[in-house]
Amino acid sequence: MSLGLELHRRRLDNGLDVVVAPDVSTPIVAVNLWYGVGSRNERPGRTGFAHLFEHMMFQGSKHVSKNGHFEFIERAGGSLNGSTWFDRTNYFETLPSNQLDLALWLEADRMGWLVDAISREKFDNQRDVVKNEKRERYDNQPYGDWLERMQRLVWPEGHPYRHTVIGSMDDLDAADLDDVVDFFRTWYVPNNAVLTVAGDVEVDDAFRRVERWFGPIPAGADPPGIAGSAEVPVPMAESRREVVEEDVPLPRVFLGLRIPPFTDPAFDAVEVAAGVLGAGRAARLHARLVRTGVVRDAFVYPFPLATGASLLLVGATGFERSDPARIEAALVDELERLPDLTEAEVERALALEEARLAREMERLETRADRISMYTQLFDRPERINETLERLRALSIDEVREAARAWFAAPHRATLTWVPRAPTERTATPAPAESGAPA
Amino acid sequence: MSVDRTAPPAPGLLRAFEFPPSTRARLASGVDLEVVHLPRLPLVTALLVMRAGEDRLAPDRGGLAVLAGDALEGGTEALSGHAFAEALEAIGADLDVTTGWDATTIALSCLADRLPRALELLASLVRIPAFPEEEVARVRDGQLARIRQNEMDPARLAESWAARTLYAAGEPYARAALGDADEVAGFGREAVAGFAAAFHRPAGAALVVAGDVDPGEVAALADRAMEGWSGGAGVSASPCGAAAASERRTVVVDRPGAVQSEIRIGHTGAPRATPDRAELVVGNAVLGGTFSSRLNLNLRERNGFTYGVRARWGWRRGPGPFLVGTAVDTGVTAAAIEEIVSEIEQIHSEGPREEEIEQARDYLAGVFPLRLESTGQVAAHVAQQHLHGLPRDEWSGYRDRVRAVTAQAAHAALRRWIRPEALQFVVVGDADHLAEALALRDLGSIEVVRG
Repeated sequence: MSLGLELHRRRLDNGLDVVVAPDVSTPIVAVNLWYGVGSRNERPGRTGFAHLFEHMMFQGSKHVSKNGHFEFIERAGGSLNGSTWFDRTNYFETLPSNQLDLALWLEADRMGWLVDAISREKFDNQRDVVKNEKRERYDNQPYGDWLERMQRLVWPEGHPYRHTVIGSMDDLDAADLDDVVDFFRTWYVPNNAVLTVAGDVEVDDAFRRVERWFGPIPAGADPPGIAGSAEVPVPMAESRREVVEEDVPLPRVFLGLRIPPFTDPAFDAVEVAAGVLGAGRAARLHARLVRTGVVRDAFVYPFPLATGASLLLVGATGFERSDPARIEAALVDELERLPDLTEAEVERALALEEARLAREMERLETRADRISMYTQLFDRPERINETLERLRALSIDEVREAARAWFAAPHRATLTWVPRAPTERTATPAPAESGAPA
Repeated sequence: MSVDRTAPPAPGLLRAFEFPPSTRARLASGVDLEVVHLPRLPLVTALLVMRAGEDRLAPDRGGLAVLAGDALEGGTEALSGHAFAEALEAIGADLDVTTGWDATTIALSCLADRLPRALELLASLVRIPAFPEEEVARVRDGQLARIRQNEMDPARLAESWAARTLYAAGEPYARAALGDADEVAGFGREAVAGFAAAFHRPAGAALVVAGDVDPGEVAALADRAMEGWSGGAGVSASPCGAAAASERRTVVVDRPGAVQSEIRIGHTGAPRATPDRAELVVGNAVLGGTFSSRLNLNLRERNGFTYGVRARWGWRRGPGPFLVGTAVDTGVTAAAIEEIVSEIEQIHSEGPREEEIEQARDYLAGVFPLRLESTGQVAAHVAQQHLHGLPRDEWSGYRDRVRAVTAQAAHAALRRWIRPEALQFVVVGDADHLAEALALRDLGSIEVVRG
């Protein structure tokens, strides 16, 4: 099954890369922008800044008031958000198709005229919001800092993927208004962005509207490269491990391995092998570890990191009395055995992937985001139609080789959570052990 | 080419959107079939909705409906659990069982041309489930582990304390849907098979199929797949959802060292089938249902207390919870509570302003098609209509009903359902650093418990 989405691409004079993907089956349209900047581009001492900046993009621009962006889109009956990732920052709106101009106006205004509207008050407010986001999603959660710990095990000092997207409290505190202006001028230039318009539009009309709103924004300087080097040995040349004893409910083990980056052709076979290992309930992890009662749940996730190398994550949660060493041994055993995967297992993984890819196209928001991704990372929007074909073209030997080279690699990072003994927890007198939040 | 950037561009002509019509039939098994033809992509979703929710259970049986649903993973008399998974995944199908307060829903999604085989598999789960001893025990242990995990997750802990605080003792809604560990630990094959025999039944059930399919063919397929399935208790169930208190009360759940306070403020709400639901939803959008709501603009955008705050109504057969929920820095807990109470009291006494209502109406009417893009979303809407016995035009008339809501009508709905004098407060956080919050007036009786 080929999705066969219709795609049109043009580049404006200022460098903005525009893709229009018409689909008139529902009266809605999705607008999606990928800026080629993420946490990998942050300089030392400013971790978390790309994400804090993303928040500032919703604080108004020259012609839009502080809450205007949300108010206008909600008023129009649309949904919107933005997100920051290691390699990029995206912004997106989905709304009734007769409101396409509204989304383009808002996005163009902040791409062209954000600096006119920033203020210390807004910046301090959003810094508080982001610090609460960090507390809520990471600091106040069992296992909340697992990815931060895993990143430090897998990537060397100075590597662009070594720090988290949310960053550190100290760095958030150290950031200032000047950083906002610098960051904006460096990265938020049309020549560092992809704009996708998907849904109920007429192709030429959509390009004309994009040109009208974005055309006058001047190009910026070419964005700089990544701070530090992303080049590291793949797979890892030595093993690392960390054991965390904390007040968590259940033992949990994460294994991290270096794999080729998402942008490397070798990543395809990694995805298929990962499907054999972990996609669905007939997959090896579920059949051999979950169904047999060794662990409560298990997963595998190849991160789609774009530069240098990426991270393959395999993990499992045990039961209250499980021995973490046994969980780890079981996971490692599955990694080492994966090269014996069979044709039938590959077929099953591909059948699931085929349906998943089709489902991903149901919502225009996701569809537009994938198109922006393929355009920015691969310079090829058409990849959205080619994914299944590419995976199907792999031979079983290529998938086995990926399993051998990356999954069964001799070195990996191991991160284990061991619940603190319950007696210790209940015996702790409340006053003495209280942390003192600022 | 010049362009006016100083004001938002005028919208073009709005294209009409109609909720896709469904074809209804009664299957031989007694199940109501609804088929929605959606040819946009070669996909289909089938939902089998059975009246086998947690609200069916006696207080000491909590969690059994969830377990019976999840234990379907053990396969059938014909296929072991693993063989069943292989059969499904060989055709790329995804099957998911969810049990909530009102129902157990088996959701199946696959490429449309695989539907015949997929329906056979789905139906076999309710016709001839196996519930092997060891699979039931494993799934039960998984549920116990989830219960334990939830006890240590501050947000979930706050939700379950809110349930316990809002509802009268012995009410199903007063506990967590997963049940209590002590009781769940005692459930085995017999209890699970007994529940399934009584409630995984066609009476009162619906099969909703949405996607690139032919309604006539689906009826024949479904009849064949469900042959021999019969019985059940039907739609009758006792009323539930009584409130615990009519005056304010506060529970502080102490978590030493917590960096944030999880706050829940509310009381028992309205049943799903209430005729003024549209008015209440529009009014709630102004209070706390959107990003631009009063609560979010106050607590997040003005004060920076939180990453986000929402006011929600749990829509169930009986009155689900009305709760304002947020997580704030410990030091601003008292200030956040005061702001929330003041917003609730103000909208209750003065009502929303006309322009706020206009914005909420436009938002809710506008986003409606955005929530109906996938076969799964459409099927879920139709299933809800069936489950709660909603009018035939619940969705086809939804946008018109929302657009007709006036500020006055929204205020009347808020006044009918919100009871500021009966607010219950739950704070999960570090009690040693909550002295200021605990000294607040108007919190009613205050109880501090260990998390």
